[in-house]
Amino acid sequence: MPLQAFGKSAALSLGVELELQLVNPVDYDLTSASTDLLELLSRKPFPGTVTPEMTQSMIEIATGILTEHAPLLAELRGMRDTLVSACDRLNIGIAGGGTHPFQRWSEQRVFDKPRYREISQLYGYLAKQFTVFGQHVHVGCASGDDALFLLHSLSRYVPHFIALSASSPFFQGVDTMFDSARLNSVFAFPLSGRAPFTLSWDDFANNYFTKMEATGVVKSMKDFYWDIRPKPEYGTIELRVCDTPLTVERAAALACYLQAICRRLLDRAEPEPTEDDYLVYTFNRFQACRFGLDGTMVDPRTRESLTIREDILATLRHVESHGAVLQSLPALEEIERCAARDGNHATHLRRVFDETHNVQSLVQESTRALRHGPRV
Amino acid sequence: MSLDAIGPFVAWPLMLLAAWIAGEYLFRRWQLPRVCTYGAVGLMLGGIGLSQGVASRETQGFMANVALSLTLFELGYRINPRWFRHNPWVLIAGIAQALLTFGAVFWVAGRFDVAIDHRLVLAALCVATSPAAVIRVTHELRSAGQVTERLLHLCALNCLIAVLLLKLVVGYWHLETSGDLGKAAFDSIYVIGLSLVAGAVFGVIAPVLNRFATSSQSTTVTFAIAVLLLSGVALGLHLSPLLAALAFGAVARERRIMLSHAERNFGALGDVLTVFLFVFVGSLLSWTGLLTSLLLGVSVLLVRTASHTLVNLGIARASGTTFRKGALTGFALMPMSAFAVLLLEESRSYGFDLARDSLPFIVGLLMLLEVLGPLATQRALLLARETHPEGN
Repeated sequence: MPLQAFGKSAALSLGVELELQLVNPVDYDLTSASTDLLELLSRKPFPGTVTPEMTQSMIEIATGILTEHAPLLAELRGMRDTLVSACDRLNIGIAGGGTHPFQRWSEQRVFDKPRYREISQLYGYLAKQFTVFGQHVHVGCASGDDALFLLHSLSRYVPHFIALSASSPFFQGVDTMFDSARLNSVFAFPLSGRAPFTLSWDDFANNYFTKMEATGVVKSMKDFYWDIRPKPEYGTIELRVCDTPLTVERAAALACYLQAICRRLLDRAEPEPTEDDYLVYTFNRFQACRFGLDGTMVDPRTRESLTIREDILATLRHVESHGAVLQSLPALEEIERCAARDGNHATHLRRVFDETHNVQSLVQESTRALRHGPRV
Repeated sequence: MSLDAIGPFVAWPLMLLAAWIAGEYLFRRWQLPRVCTYGAVGLMLGGIGLSQGVASRETQGFMANVALSLTLFELGYRINPRWFRHNPWVLIAGIAQALLTFGAVFWVAGRFDVAIDHRLVLAALCVATSPAAVIRVTHELRSAGQVTERLLHLCALNCLIAVLLLKLVVGYWHLETSGDLGKAAFDSIYVIGLSLVAGAVFGVIAPVLNRFATSSQSTTVTFAIAVLLLSGVALGLHLSPLLAALAFGAVARERRIMLSHAERNFGALGDVLTVFLFVFVGSLLSWTGLLTSLLLGVSVLLVRTASHTLVNLGIARASGTTFRKGALTGFALMPMSAFAVLLLEESRSYGFDLARDSLPFIVGLLMLLEVLGPLATQRALLLARETHPEGN
């Protein structure tokens, strides 16, 4: 089946998806609770959408299509409050964070749905090890060509989003030394990484995708696990590198930071993307995963090397005027606080661990943070 | 060859070994809950009189108490009292089903011409749900979900209320036989209050001792020994070791001592003691007079299960789950033998003669439930699809 035409959507509109973890409030291990939770939630209208995920200890929430920070944040908070109160009624804990710090993947129960059973059979333990939690941000694009232009121009900024959202320093009971250990699980999949370089939707759909489909390796865009992938049915590109942050406030800020960068890129404020931009891509990405905001990134054009933190702060100055037009200055302020002062949520979790020396307390803090914001 | 010939030191371990091996075999073969087999082996040994006189009943009773106390500690640690605030329906269900069960059993026993005193004891005991079977089966299946969650919380409530009711019955009995209101009140209030306090004190002290522990394994040992000590103290002071252990677990949880995943069930120690507990309880139940009490047992079993199921079905939607899961929760609450037998033993050893006389009325029910109870819990959890598909 050929790839469908690139759908219509308002340029720079936003949609946010968050994968959240369900834990038991006793020892804070993941718990298979999504069936019960979804049953309870189905009784009343939900502010947004909520869907099951691969394993029964995850759920995914998604906002509608929004254009500004305030309504986006309001919708995320509305969903959060509904979820928290439903979880309280069922004695379930709910939390953000890119990984569960000590779950054993073999313990996870796969949600009963044909696609998940297929994936589970194909990928074996990888599918369960994929019990990691990400934030996906959709940005509306006026055309398929715009989508590919944004997708490749954004490659330079991918480390920002990894570092700012990183909230998965602990995995399988140990400090991985990475700020985002989650992405290492994603890399294990054969079709992860970056999209092939082309700026023409026609070329992408009729050349690349058709060839890939003919090999039998993929059936739909869903089979690609790229860092950024086009979503023709929505008319969007989807940024997939972010860990689910501990708070919805941070999630909303990340989405609006992306929106502001996209607006600047669409103004053609920067030179056209080229294949050579990807020379440093995996290096920068590793630095962001491993060291977070302290990582080093190499600018593919100037070949200058600077910390991701510095590059974010510089970018914030460039996009401030766009943020003002998009009414997202409070979001950019949150990004600045994160980069310049507070650090990302991985840093926060390590601080908690230094006090308690206990991985369970990390999940306890994560459930608390989702409700009330991180403890200062 | 009689067991006396080989001596108690060989006879008991041999029984435990037989129960353990049979339990593993039948679990692998038919997924029969292991504790069912242990209980059945105990019943058989008791039935043919093999278990009589092989060791002092007091020592064995103490060991059984410790075994059950470990489970109660774990149950206390596992439940979340805040849930009752967030979802009062669960608490309401617990109280309603206890009262309904008490009333229904009292009434049914009346139809069988059981004397009032004995009916009161029987009704109080039937309120209990045995935590040993419930915890073992949920762990065996690695179950998680609303039925599991409700089952554990209601089990804790049932145990608490059963102890409370039985102490009230004891108090009433003392009042009737001696007319001594002071002793009656003392028995009920002092025992319950002080048991809870003793457990709570351990919940505060144990974490301090635990600072000497260097690994998760040593944490397990610290807490196992603390439970052992608490059982000894409680028995010495004529308190309820079972209630104290429950309070110990609950307070330890509130003080946020994190016991990691690996130590669930107190590891191998917990396994050994569980085999012992179920074999011991089975062997205590005498088969003489079984037939007469069997009909009463079946009737009580029916009204007790009906009470549980009706109440949980009734509050299902309001409490945020489905009717199906509500009904399965009620069904899963069936086990009661180990807890009821030890509670009766405890009352007997504290001079409550009625306890000894009540056993014949309830023995049919206890024998049925020793095997049926854990099986019902297991089936309910399987039907609720809350078990791990690759359960071992």
